[in-house]
Amino acid sequence: MTPMTPLSECSGIVPQIQNIVSTVNLACRLDLKKIALHAKNAEYNPKRFAAVIMRIREPRTTALIFSSGKMVCTGAKSEEQSRLAARKYARVVQKLGFPARFLDFKIQNMVGSCDVRFSIRLEGLVLTHQQFSSYEPELFPGLIYRMVKPRIVLLIFVSGKVVLTGKF
Amino acid sequence: MTGRVCRGCGGTDIELDAARGDAVCTGCGSVLEDNIIVSEVQFVENSGGGSSAVGQFVSLDGAGKTPTLGGGFHVNLGKESRAQTLQNGRRHIHHLGSQLQLNQHCLDTAFNFFKMAVSKHLTRGRKMAHVIAACLYLVCRTEGTPHMLLDLSDLLQVNVYVLGKTFLLLARELCINAPAIDPCLYIPRFAHLLEFGEKNHEVSMTALRLLQRMKRDWMHTGRRPSGLCGAALLVAARMHDFRRTVKEVISVVKVCESTLRKRLTEFEDTPTSQLTIDEFMKIDLEEECDPPSYTAGQRKLRMKQLEQVLSKKLEEVEGEISSYQDAIEIELENSRPKAKGALANLSKDGSVEDTASSLLGEEDVEDEELEAAASHMNQDFYRELLGGGSGSAEAAENPEGGGRALALESLLGPLPTAASLGISDSIRECISAPGRDPEDTSGDGELDLSGIDDLEIDRYILNESEARVKAELWMRENAEYLQEQREKEARIAKEKELGIYKEHKPKKSCKRREPIQASTAGEAIEKMLEQKKISSKINYSVLRDLNSKGGGSPQREGTRPAERASSRRLSRRRTPASRNGADPGACVGKRLRPLVSTQTAKKAAMGEAVLPSPPALGAELVRPAAVLVESGPVSYHPEEDADEEEADEEDGEPCVSALQMLGGNDYGCDGDDDEGY
Repeated sequence: MTPMTPLSECSGIVPQIQNIVSTVNLACRLDLKKIALHAKNAEYNPKRFAAVIMRIREPRTTALIFSSGKMVCTGAKSEEQSRLAARKYARVVQKLGFPARFLDFKIQNMVGSCDVRFSIRLEGLVLTHQQFSSYEPELFPGLIYRMVKPRIVLLIFVSGKVVLTGKF
Repeated sequence: MTGRVCRGCGGTDIELDAARGDAVCTGCGSVLEDNIIVSEVQFVENSGGGSSAVGQFVSLDGAGKTPTLGGGFHVNLGKESRAQTLQNGRRHIHHLGSQLQLNQHCLDTAFNFFKMAVSKHLTRGRKMAHVIAACLYLVCRTEGTPHMLLDLSDLLQVNVYVLGKTFLLLARELCINAPAIDPCLYIPRFAHLLEFGEKNHEVSMTALRLLQRMKRDWMHTGRRPSGLCGAALLVAARMHDFRRTVKEVISVVKVCESTLRKRLTEFEDTPTSQLTIDEFMKIDLEEECDPPSYTAGQRKLRMKQLEQVLSKKLEEVEGEISSYQDAIEIELENSRPKAKGALANLSKDGSVEDTASSLLGEEDVEDEELEAAASHMNQDFYRELLGGGSGSAEAAENPEGGGRALALESLLGPLPTAASLGISDSIRECISAPGRDPEDTSGDGELDLSGIDDLEIDRYILNESEARVKAELWMRENAEYLQEQREKEARIAKEKELGIYKEHKPKKSCKRREPIQASTAGEAIEKMLEQKKISSKINYSVLRDLNSKGGGSPQREGTRPAERASSRRLSRRRTPASRNGADPGACVGKRLRPLVSTQTAKKAAMGEAVLPSPPALGAELVRPAAVLVESGPVSYHPEEDADEEEADEEDGEPCVSALQMLGGNDYGCDGDDDEGY
């Protein structure tokens, strides 16, 4: 049974983006200790994790900066914001004295959520779409639907709330 | 052995002597057979005087130690790794399964799942116990036994979610759809544990009926079935005058007390709970309720909306109060003697300005009718605002808090989401056209500073003194780590001096061997042989001749198993040159070509960009599972293979050979090697 896209998209339900994860390559080796000690908003605990965790307030995001020069930026609510935040982090690193560049900015993952406003019978869904869905009430109350095209994973709950996540 | 003819004289009178194991012709006396293998049972005498049969037990599956004829030297100590793994697995499955009281059929099915898992390399990197538990639980689900994942987790003392993860992966990889759990399955088991005596059946029936009702009321979706069972059994017990406490029930059902209470409360909220016991047994209410989480969500939404309206009303009231205050002040001012003309004017203007500003730029109002006018204006304004505000609230997904200052924000609310929608459309295009580069890469990767406020960035950087303080704190915090690093460096330096420094590179995760790039089959085979170091006895020159005659075999990636198979085939043929040279070569070429087409077709079907070798392996391994061909018997008769290929060749077209239809012999060869069948 192939899932069909409805002909009219005017259901009025629009998913809200909750989180975007992106990566960028700063293309230079970084001294994490120096960054951690000279930046106000950075934490670095080498015993626990080998990266500096930096946060900025606007857009409200968190970045993991590794000594190889690669950086992961999470928490933005739109693609433009994610890019802007990544650039801000790169600027901070630049100001701390490293020749940081901005190569290969790529959005890795986006998470969105929405509410369809009606209850969903998950057992029925798992019966009809069994090759895509996985529903284990013992483990997780939601149904995990892995859509093939577009490549998205949806967490569908009985109350009608749906969480969508996907990576390119 | 009737019907044997003597080679010497042609006589048919052959005598078999079982004791000596000979077959002798009575006519001319020539021995036709020596050391005949007999299938008799022999007995030996023990030291105690008793006798026991001679022989060994050979296991049903897996290769046992092949009994050596005559020699006693230990050849091939121990079994192959795969057979050992399977044997181990079987033992564990039986051990665990017997604790769960599973019957033999279930255990055999579980072992089959385990074999499939091993062949798909799903046991790599996972604890054997987890995989075994997952196999057993899979069987429980497919057979519908009342075993929970929690039971397995109890037996193994492993976190149930870890087991669940392994189980989900196994089910997905083996493409086995386990049917959803029905809580009704657990009722008999729990009822038995709760010891209802003779009324066990009645209580179970009542509990089942309650469960059906709960299902219709949408209470069971997304919930642990054991919790529902517990609630149903508790109510059923009470209905039949059994005093089962919550504690007893939860010790049997293995849920938390709060969970049980919550289920009971939810059931209480349904209209069915209002019926009496007799009514319940007879009547079935038509209407169905919404799931509790849905109603809770709707209630929360309504509460939020109410709050907004209330806050707006509050603002309104506050506004009115402030306007009244202003009005009163103005009146007081006016009631004072009007001697200070200019000042009075000033103050009057000032107060008018005040009121005007407090009412957010309204028109001028008369003093006398200030109150009425102010309240009138307020009402108008707020009605307007409310209308605008609630309209925007409906439009926006996240209705912002009401209020004058925030009204704008609520109006602006929808805009970012619309913007992000537009972008997400273009992203969807990007998915469908992956070749398109994002246009916003600035030149060679220089940081684009537009839109970044330098002052803001400076705020994130500490100055000298702050940096020093932070450095001190950090050093103190991470003292042990720094100490360890220093010791490590000292150790490395010392080892370097002594010259025994071993460079421990960080272990890269098992890198898959790169696919062999070769232009001809012969080259590929040579490279593969170098890698695998199979045999130094292969005559490469002959190999080259073979494949040069075959000619034109296409370039391929990742047909390692094909190469392996073909090399094995070739190595078995002691004298490949004895055959007409062209044909085997052509065979090899031809055989490899159909393989390539199938593999590329499969790759297209899978549509994933993974390393070439894994899909080749994965494809093969999937195929046998799908086709379910026992690869053993169809194996190795190189002569037959060549014959078939020759027949094909004579036909003159690359038709589908029987081997191909069977799923390709090469796959079989692979399995052959591994399974040891």
